[in-house]
Amino acid sequence: MYDFLEQNSMYLVLFIALIIWAGIFLYLNKIDRNLKKLEREEQK
Amino acid sequence: MNNFYKITVFLSITLVLIGTTIIPIPFIPGLGDKARIIYLHVPMSWIAVLSFLLSMIYSVKYLRKRDLVDDVKAVSAAEVGFLFTILATITGSLWAKFNWGSFWNWDPRETSIFILMLIYGAYFSLRSAIENHDQKAKLASVYAIIAFVTVPFFIFIMPRIVESLHPADTIVNTQGKINMNPVMLTIFLFSLFSFTLVFFWVLNVKIRIEKLKLNRIQKNNI
Repeated sequence: MYDFLEQNSMYLVLFIALIIWAGIFLYLNKIDRNLKKLEREEQK
Repeated sequence: MNNFYKITVFLSITLVLIGTTIIPIPFIPGLGDKARIIYLHVPMSWIAVLSFLLSMIYSVKYLRKRDLVDDVKAVSAAEVGFLFTILATITGSLWAKFNWGSFWNWDPRETSIFILMLIYGAYFSLRSAIENHDQKAKLASVYAIIAFVTVPFFIFIMPRIVESLHPADTIVNTQGKINMNPVMLTIFLFSLFSFTLVFFWVLNVKIRIEKLKLNRIQKNNI
């Protein structure tokens, strides 16, 4: 197991970085959409 | 922000992450694979400088037109800039642990970014200390302009005039010519571009939040 992780460490880093990025992206997207709703309510 | 922009941001950062980790880089003496930090660390610093510059521009605009929306944009840019300064410090510190042996050792680069964070920390303290909106905006704008004058000194000049362990000729060498492997340079420039896209999205969201807050305060006052 340790050997496998050592040999593929870069892929492991990529995998974790992609999960973190997906989380940040979804969070930003959610804030963006909620803001759009609030802005529409504000205009009414 | 429209969906096309969001999809472009998502795909470009995904590509940057793939390029950062998987694409092989030439052997760099003393750095090895640790040189890959350049794809993440330098864009963070670049965005910090860009956002502090924007903060200064909006502050000048506020002082000329006295429109509180410009002040909202200035503070939003400074806040996002501060966030990216912290990210640049963290990425640099992680690299320092593996290259220099400790997370923090008061290298001129580390000291200068620390002072920069204190300067912008004082900007936020100044804003929170004044209740009157117009007075707050006026004083903070003047401070943001003066604070930006120190940015080029602390990021570009001071670390170069004092002896430092920080790599200085990784992108441009001392003769002013580009000194980077073409593959690395492509990924690096693409990374700069992609993170700048992320920055404008984050800044846009932050400005819209602050504008909504401002509208509510103004409505309550009327």
